[in-house]
Parts: sequence; C-alpha cells; structure tokens
Amino acid sequence: MTNSVYIHIPFCNNICSYCDFSKVYYNNDLVNKYLDSLFLEVKNNYQGEIINTLYIGGGSPSSLSIDNLNKLNDIIKIFKLSSDIEFTIEVNPDDITKDKLLFYKEMGINRISIGVESTINKYLKYLNRRHDFKLVQDKIKLIKDMGFSNISVDLIYGMKDETLHDLEKDLNNLLSLDINHISTYSLEIHDNTLLGINNDKRISDDFDRKMYDYIDNYLEKNGFEHYEISNFAKYKTYSQHNLVYWNNLNYYGFGIGASGYIDNIRYQNTKSFTSYFLEKRIINKEILSNEDTISYALILGFRKIKGINKNDFYNRYHVDILSLYNIKDLIKEGLLIDDGKYLKINKEYLYVENSILENFV
Amino acid sequence: MIKQENIRNFSIIAHIDHGKSTIADRILEITNAVSLHDSKNQMLDSMDIERERGITIKLNAVELNYHYKNEDYILNLIDTPGHVDFSYEVSRSLAASDGAILVVDAAQGIEAQTLANLFLALDNDLTIIPVINKIDLPNADVDKVTKELMDTFGFSKDEIILTSAKTGVGIKELVEAIIKRVPAPKGDIKSPLQGLIFDSIYDSYKGVIILTRIKNGELKKGDKIKLMSTDAIYDVTEVGVYTPSVKEKEKLVCGEVGYFWGSIKSINDVQIGDTVTLESNPAKDMLPGYKKISQVVFAGLYPTETSRYNDLRDALEKLKLNDASLSFEPETSHALGFGFRCGFLGLLHMEIVEERIEREFNIPLIATSPSVVYEVKLTNGEIIRIDSPQKMPEKTNISSVSEPYIKTNIFTPAEYIGPIMELCQNKRGNYINLEYIDAKRVIIHYELPLSEVVYDFFDKLKSSTKGYASFDYELIGYKESNLVKMDILINGEIVDALTTIVHKDFAYQRGKVVVENLKKLIPRQMFVVPIQAALGSKIIARSDIKALRKDVLAKCYGGDVSRKKKLLEKQKEGKKRMKQLGTVMIPQDAFLAVLSNEEINDE
Repeated sequence: MTNSVYIHIPFCNNICSYCDFSKVYYNNDLVNKYLDSLFLEVKNNYQGEIINTLYIGGGSPSSLSIDNLNKLNDIIKIFKLSSDIEFTIEVNPDDITKDKLLFYKEMGINRISIGVESTINKYLKYLNRRHDFKLVQDKIKLIKDMGFSNISVDLIYGMKDETLHDLEKDLNNLLSLDINHISTYSLEIHDNTLLGINNDKRISDDFDRKMYDYIDNYLEKNGFEHYEISNFAKYKTYSQHNLVYWNNLNYYGFGIGASGYIDNIRYQNTKSFTSYFLEKRIINKEILSNEDTISYALILGFRKIKGINKNDFYNRYHVDILSLYNIKDLIKEGLLIDDGKYLKINKEYLYVENSILENFV
Repeated sequence: MIKQENIRNFSIIAHIDHGKSTIADRILEITNAVSLHDSKNQMLDSMDIERERGITIKLNAVELNYHYKNEDYILNLIDTPGHVDFSYEVSRSLAASDGAILVVDAAQGIEAQTLANLFLALDNDLTIIPVINKIDLPNADVDKVTKELMDTFGFSKDEIILTSAKTGVGIKELVEAIIKRVPAPKGDIKSPLQGLIFDSIYDSYKGVIILTRIKNGELKKGDKIKLMSTDAIYDVTEVGVYTPSVKEKEKLVCGEVGYFWGSIKSINDVQIGDTVTLESNPAKDMLPGYKKISQVVFAGLYPTETSRYNDLRDALEKLKLNDASLSFEPETSHALGFGFRCGFLGLLHMEIVEERIEREFNIPLIATSPSVVYEVKLTNGEIIRIDSPQKMPEKTNISSVSEPYIKTNIFTPAEYIGPIMELCQNKRGNYINLEYIDAKRVIIHYELPLSEVVYDFFDKLKSSTKGYASFDYELIGYKESNLVKMDILINGEIVDALTTIVHKDFAYQRGKVVVENLKKLIPRQMFVVPIQAALGSKIIARSDIKALRKDVLAKCYGGDVSRKKKLLEKQKEGKKRMKQLGTVMIPQDAFLAVLSNEEINDE
C-alpha cells in the first residue's frame, strides 16, 4: 500500500549558491504547462489509496502564485486525503504572503517547512538567500497567526569561516522563533552549483563533527529530541512524511526529478522538462530483490536515533535482523547497540555511519 | 621468393622519447605496411600501457617490403624498448638483427641510454646507422649533435642521416641506407635448421607462439621441431610473419624473422634464447643465445582477495612466457596471506608487470616494497642471500651484511651538477668522477647502493634537473654496510609486508618519515590507529591516525535513497582494493610508502 505522496515543484524566484536540486527560474507559462503535465502524471498513476502524508517540495513551492496554486489544488483534489493527514509545503521566507498562507490552509496544508538556513547576514549572502532574520521573525509570526502550529525550520552549518560562536547565535535565534522542528545540514559543495563553480572548499571533517556535536548538545538541552541524523523535534512532532522514507515504506513521487517507491520498485523521474512534457517520465527503475529491500531497510532505518524495532523488522521481512550480514560482529565491536527492543547505531558513530552501512550493500 | 641477400634485419635503438616509435611508424608507412589512414600513433606499441606511457616494453618484429633499384627487399624491423630496465630485451632483439638505427634527438643530444644501447649493439657486432631525429624542432641543434656523435662515437659526418619522423623528412633516405649499409644475413639454407628464439607470446587458442630468427636452414609448416635446451618436440602447425598483421607462410628460411606455433601448451618448454632445430636433422650446436638474466629488484605480489591466488599464478606464468626476465616463487606473508616473491629488472619493470596483471588479468594486487638482494654473512661463516627483508636472520646470528652497489652514468647539463651531487650524497653515494662531454654537458659517475635507487631516485633526478638529466647504471658488486631491519607496527601488530632493511645511520629519520607517510596514506578508521616504527623491540617513531569524524549523508529523503545506496556501494568497492589487517583497512600504495625517504604531501 502506498499512502504517501511527494510532489516536486521545480521553480524558484532565486537560485541559492549551494542548491543542486532540479529547479529553474520561475516563469508563469512554464509553471502552467508543468502543472498540466503533473495533473496527467497523478491522474494516470495514483491508485486511489488513502493518503496519510503529502509533501510538496522543491525548488520553491512557495514561488507559485495564487493562480498557480489554484491549479495545483486541482491536482491535490485527485487524492483521497486522510482526515489526520500530515500535509507539508516547503516555503522561502521571502515568498510568503498572507494570501498564499490562506490558500495553503484551504488546500489542507498543516505543516510548514521554512528555509531559514542561517540567521547571520554574511552567511545568508554567501548562500545567496534573499532574507534576513528580521524577515524570518515576521513571516513566522504571520504563519502562526494564520493558525499553522506545526512548523519546521532548516539550518545549514559549516560555511567557510563559520565559528562555533556563529553557530551558537544561529541556534539561539532558531530557539527564539518557538518552532517545533529543526532540520540541520552540513553544507555540501556540489559541482554545478555556484559554490562548486567558485571552487569553494568544505570545512574539515573534524570541525564539521565539532559543529554537529555542538548542535546535538544544544538542541537536546533545549527540549528538542534528536530523532534522526539531521532532524530534531519537540513534543514528538517528527516529520511523518520523512519517517515513511526512513521506515522503508512506499511512496509516490510525482514531478520532475522526483523519486518514488511502489511495491518493489524504486524509480526516478526525468529532470528534463522536454521529456516530462512528452510523458517520458521515468528514467530509472530499480526492481528490488528481497536482499535489496532488506539492504534499504537497514540503510534507512539506522538513520533513526532510536534504531530499528527488531520485532517489526521480523514481522515485515521474516528474518531475524541479528542474523543479517556481520551485524553480530558490529555489535561486538560496539558500533551497533542492541537494547533489547531496538537495534541502533552507537550514537558516537552516527556521524560516520556510512562506514557501518557499507556492510549492508 | 626473395633472395637471402635481399633481406635486412635491423633494430632501432634510442634513448626514451627520442622518437624511436615514431620513426618505426614512418618506416611502416613508407613501405606501405600500413596506410596513413588506419595508422594509430606508435603502431608497434601494441599494449595499452605502451601507448599510454609512450614507452616500448615488448619487442615486436615486422616484415616490410621495399622496392629499390629494380630489386625487391624484405626489411625485418625488430623493435626494442628504451628504458634502462629493459636493456635485456634490447640485447635480445639485437641478437636477431644485423644492423641497428641509432636515433638521437636533435635537441637533446646523446643521453644515457643512447650510450648503453649503442654499446649493446656494438657487442653484437651490428652495423650502426646514426640518425639525428626531430630536426624540425625549433630548438634543434643539428650541428652540435652531429659533433657529439662524431666526437663521442667516432661516426663520420656523411654517415649521419637527418630525419624528422614527424614530417617524414629523411625517412626514405634512411630506408635506403638500411638496404645499402646493413649486411644481408649470413647463414646457409642447406645446413640443419638453427633458429634463435627471441620472444614468445601466449595465445589461449594457439598456445605458445614463438618468435624466431632463422640463422641456418629452413622451417616449414608440418615440420617436427625440437627445442634444443629442453629437448621438447612439437609439430609446427603454422609459420608466418607479422606485416604487422599476421601473414601465414609456407616456410621461414635462413635470414628471415617470423613466428611459428604448434600446440605448445607447456610454457616451461620454451626458453627465450634457446635454439629451435628439426627433430629429423638436428643441428649439432646451439646458437649462443643470451647471457642469463639476473633480477635486481624483488617484491611480493599478493592478490587483494586471497581467493585469487591461483589466478595470480596463472597470470604470472602467462606473463613470464614473453617476459623471460620475470621470476617468481610462492611466498607467504602473515599480513597478506599467500602470494609470490617476484624478481624484476627494475622498478619500471615491476610497475609494468603489476599493471598488466591488474589490467589484462583483472586481479587487484598489493605489491610490497621492493627490495634488493642482500648478502648476509652469518656468525658461523655461512653466507646467505636474502631477497626479502622478512628473511633477515636474528641480529645475533649476523656477522655482516652487504648490499649491491651500482655505478651511475648520469648525463646532465652542467648547471645541474650541484643538485645531482646533493641527491646522490643523500642516497649514500660515493663520488667517483665527472666527465665533460662538451663545455655544457657532463657525465657524473657515482657509486650508489642499489636499494637507494630502486624507489624514487629516477623521479628525484628528473625533478631536480627539470627533466634534463638522463640516467643509466651498471651493477658493480657488493659492499658491506651497517644495515638493520626496521619493522612497522600498525595498531600494535608488526606488519611483515612493511618491514624494510635500512642503513642504521638513517633509521631514525627513515622511521619518522615512514610513519608520517603511512598516516597520510591510510584513511581514517572508526578507531584511533597507532603506527610505529621499530628496530627490534625499540620503538623509534610513532604517529596516530585519528578516528574518522564524518562519513555520512546528512540529508536522506525520498530522492536521495538510491543515491545513498550507490554511494555506499562505491565506497565499499573502493575498500575492496584495500587490505584488511585486523580491523584496519590499508590501501595498496601504503605498502610502497616504506621506501620513500621524504614526506609526501597531503592530498
């Protein structure tokens, strides 16, 4: 059963210096054409299941105008939304208007993920973001005033020359916003991004780790639960949609560059508008064997701090997780921890988990 | 059929980069062996490695046709390698030739290997045709190089042919000089067959293919032949020549160069330098052949995956077929498992063999640091030879240790004398003397321990002279030295494959460099890994590899899932090329790092 949907909106009013997602500059005609194709894709592929989590990501979904949103809403209406759905949209502070927020409400959106990224002007400039912290404060107040209570913010750390002091300031500012969810990312520098083209270098792994540990400490001290490698939540307001990924559950991926996982197939959509408009959508299909499925279950499940529930794992895959690969050795070496109910990565090794996970591919 | 007096067998000898392969290409074109259109550069260099590195490793023999003054001629071109490591192969092809073209670069002049190869050619009593190549270069100095050739080797000005293999100038003149000057092969077609085996190739379908120069008699398809040194007897299935494509013939006659094969499956029956004759009418004597080759550099080769030991044995056996200079015997390492102790002509030779095994046989390898052969005098008076540091006896049983020394011929512009002497001094060298070729160029002679040369001497020489110096050497025997065994411990365990023999006065400095280099080459692991150098039980240097601090995909959402798995697969694949010692993963190049005596740079 597939009860989750991801929809990709590949348009932005502004391109950030670090972004390597599928996106183009906003253009009303192109958006309309895109939404027409998106409509077709959803119509032709959605099997009518009840949808529990829906996530509109991008790009910048908040770049869509009210007219565009009307069109998007026609697509949303195709889905049978569960009454307690988690329905998220990603927004940029500078795109948000009262009218748009009203419309989100009308669509059924109940979770806002806002790209704050930094609260310090020089880093915002470095990341090529078009807002300052004052604007973020205003927009979050507006979001709350409009009745949204489930709000997540993104934070990027590890910019060139950033100090622990800067990081502390960022974290303090985020706490002052009184939101319930924070996603944090160490800055990655990809080729074909502005930073990549400028040949900017990443900070050292040692300092990166120092920052990561700092964030972990700081947020946990302030009431946030570290529940996934990069994610923190208060009052158990975990991202239900993202948990679908980490729990290795099925989801639809609609739109350019989107990925999906249906039955035993993982697929990727094209990043080309031309192909997408011609309905030549899927460019890559991975048909999973049982072994692949289990491999993904481990790779993804161990991202959760709590780890993998051993019973659930057995019920779903009919195999004792402790009998897989060299898991017993990894427990002996202290890299994995079996706490009786859950099997998890020793938190000390979470930030080097790839060296553990490579045993499972 | 071509008359014997219209056959010419010749080689081309040159210092590396002086244009030997390009001249060969032009000769192939002018004799219409290949058309200009389908000619790849350096046609005789058939191995990928040869083309990529721009060097010739293996010899090749090609039959060419040329019409001159109303006569048809056959020219057999026998290609030769240029690098000092392969002088043995050069001597093999020279023994199959009657003349040699000596190529000298018009800008560089005479270099170390020009000299070495020329002496080899003279030893074989060959007619030499001196050629100055690359005369089209803007910095060509034909007059100067002409004078060098005249003064150093005693050629007359008229003998020297000027060519540009790039533009084709002088090639026709050169080909005709071969006909005019190189003597026709001697030998008698009516005598019993005597063919010199100068190379062999293994073909999985045909078995061993033998390359031979017929010195007397003739070899026909269907003949029953005998390989004289092993007494092995085979039926000849096919004879022919390379043009460079394979051309089958009815027979090879006295003076010709070609190939034959006949279901020869046993590699050991075929020895390079052996004589082939007919079983029914055998020759009385073997041809002189070649002097037995001695390997100077030894190293362990181990498959990264221990299950591929037998594949590695097969690969070595096949390589040995057309690389007589390679030797190997089984060896066991505590750290690396089962492998082979292999003997090589030099470092380049070792690199080439490694690369061929990895590429042609697809067996990922770990090579241990190369070692020379030490002579150890025991306290009981016995003398043993050690080709592996691990075999060094207990200190208390050793009376003295000697190591092989070489004498260098370093050709260099005079302005680099200083840096070269400093380099040789750092390598424990003893200065012998210095000869001026002319006012600006010199030959520097040093006595150096061979062990100091095998690793990075050549690179160092090149970098300290901006590439201008060239280098050649001869072994001059053994000398006693104050040598000790240095062990390397990783995570508290001695890694036998990293043990080296070092001079005692240099041990501390070497130990420090080695642990620092290993620290840089071994990637961070999940735990802190100490690296130590030790003389006996005494630790002389230590450095710790810090624990891995970050190895994670920070973001992992719907679209990142497949990417994440691919990334892990790639990471795992990368580690396959490393060796796991306990919980520590060690990359291949770490096993060579113990020989460097200066610190490598980060990244």
